[in-house]
Amino acid sequence: MKRHFLAALILLATLPSGLAAEAGTPKPFERGSWQKLLHAHAGHPTLVHFWGVTCGPCKVELPQLGRFMKDHPDIDVVTISADLVPNLPEATRSMLDGAGLASAENWMFGDGFAERLRFEIDPAWQGDIPRTMLIARDGTITTIEGSAEIADLDKWSATQAAASR
Amino acid sequence: MTSRKSAGWIVLATAMLAALPNLAKAQMSHQHASEAACEDTALRCATKVTPAFAPDGTLWLTWMAGGQISVASSKDQGKSFSTLVQVTRDRLNLDWGPDARPKLAIDAKGDIALAFSIFRDQAFNGQVLTTRSTDGGRSFDPPKPITANNESQRFEAIGFDPAGAVFAVWLDKRNRVPAQQRGEKYDGAGLFFASSKDGGATYSDARLAADNTCECCRLALAFDGAGHPVVVFRNIFEGGVRDHAIVTFTDLATPGEVHRVSRDDWQIAACPHHGPSLTISSEGTYHVTWYTNGKARKGLFYARSRDGGKTFSDPLPIGQLNRSPSRPQVIAGPHGLVMAWKEFDGQKTSINLMTSHDDGATWSKPVVIADTTDSSDHPLLVTDRRQTYLSWMTKADGYHFQAIEGEP
Repeated sequence: MKRHFLAALILLATLPSGLAAEAGTPKPFERGSWQKLLHAHAGHPTLVHFWGVTCGPCKVELPQLGRFMKDHPDIDVVTISADLVPNLPEATRSMLDGAGLASAENWMFGDGFAERLRFEIDPAWQGDIPRTMLIARDGTITTIEGSAEIADLDKWSATQAAASR
Repeated sequence: MTSRKSAGWIVLATAMLAALPNLAKAQMSHQHASEAACEDTALRCATKVTPAFAPDGTLWLTWMAGGQISVASSKDQGKSFSTLVQVTRDRLNLDWGPDARPKLAIDAKGDIALAFSIFRDQAFNGQVLTTRSTDGGRSFDPPKPITANNESQRFEAIGFDPAGAVFAVWLDKRNRVPAQQRGEKYDGAGLFFASSKDGGATYSDARLAADNTCECCRLALAFDGAGHPVVVFRNIFEGGVRDHAIVTFTDLATPGEVHRVSRDDWQIAACPHHGPSLTISSEGTYHVTWYTNGKARKGLFYARSRDGGKTFSDPLPIGQLNRSPSRPQVIAGPHGLVMAWKEFDGQKTSINLMTSHDDGATWSKPVVIADTTDSSDHPLLVTDRRQTYLSWMTKADGYHFQAIEGEP
């Protein structure tokens, strides 16, 4: 009994490094991350969703996106928590898990200079969330401000499937 | 045998105890370091700083730093500050949302009312806490909830009316529960208010001024010439349009009719995190600035009302649209109106300023009065009846408190 307890404690002591490496932990979104992200997904239809743990409409939309991802394995789904810092890795992760988005490519604003991060993505964006950017195979970006209609996302993904034929 | 095991346990436990604070600290700094310059409660570590002048000309600041709310005062217009007084003691999850900040107001006796929000659970439900000081800011009562209701509350605003009562207004989700029980959809939050006749020791029961308003933007509060509270807020108009509205109270307990400030037609189911600013000049004119991304217009705007908020002038665009203008503030000072806002050029954030000497009919050309190359708080304006000042917290360059030059 006591030995188990000790083992648990030792495990606890090694947790910080273990946590960071665990899948599903959002990656820090920093200066230059946006260009890297665009580059990594070039040629693939990609849905990028900006959200935050304190945003009411986001809580409603997130599970819908989880279902969208399940239904559209051909679309790369990326989430970026853009709630201004301090961001809470655990809360962020648990909401993504609950929404069925644990296996999406998840990021979290990792720089307090959020103005600069937003400017790199879209100079016109003032930080309102949720916000969704649909990046087509040819790189065309369609921005949806506020909660997206899943029907619109379905329509867009259909055009992407057609474009690949 | 048992004793040896115990010894091993003690050694390990001690090692764990020693390691834990570092672990906690490492996590804290990971979460906070990027927005704050440092981790303690000092002003230079603050992420949000709010100024207010007392009637006797003392400048008071309240700020969020090191996970606590603190205050300090200055008798020399911000050149030097008193030793800080910590208002909070417990480790609270302070509301760090982009439009949240602690606020304070000082009455003619020098008593201080202070309010701030916390996240009280893992679902980020908010709670508004208030406290007061009756010994000139040397100590504060333990903070307590402004209302007994336990639904989410955020974005409080407080002020003393001319008779010395504290008026408080905030956004409150309490009406969501009965709506859902009736099987109805509930959008946004209610604009609730209360007042205190004892300097903020106790508040009256919360009452509703307007329901289904936008739940995630700060409120703007000012008092008109007769001492009646006036509140500007982002409303949710029919069809989910998040445009601004205004309400003038006929007394501390009676909200008047809600009027629309502007028809921007921003239909969005989102949290803009970007509330308005309001000031009332000695002429009795209401001056409002706000942000919108509507179909009718996008960006920052200014409008004025000379009929107590019933109608407003055509919105005047503020700032350069390609420089992401944000956080507009307006104040009526002793030498006219001053407006300040942020712009960002891809590298640095600048504070831009315009003035008006004809009650908002015409405005000067914008000038840049400060800039920084890292994160910063909103630019706030405050006046001591002799001059208007910019109050601006920056991570890289610390706290700025500067008189608006050339303003007279």
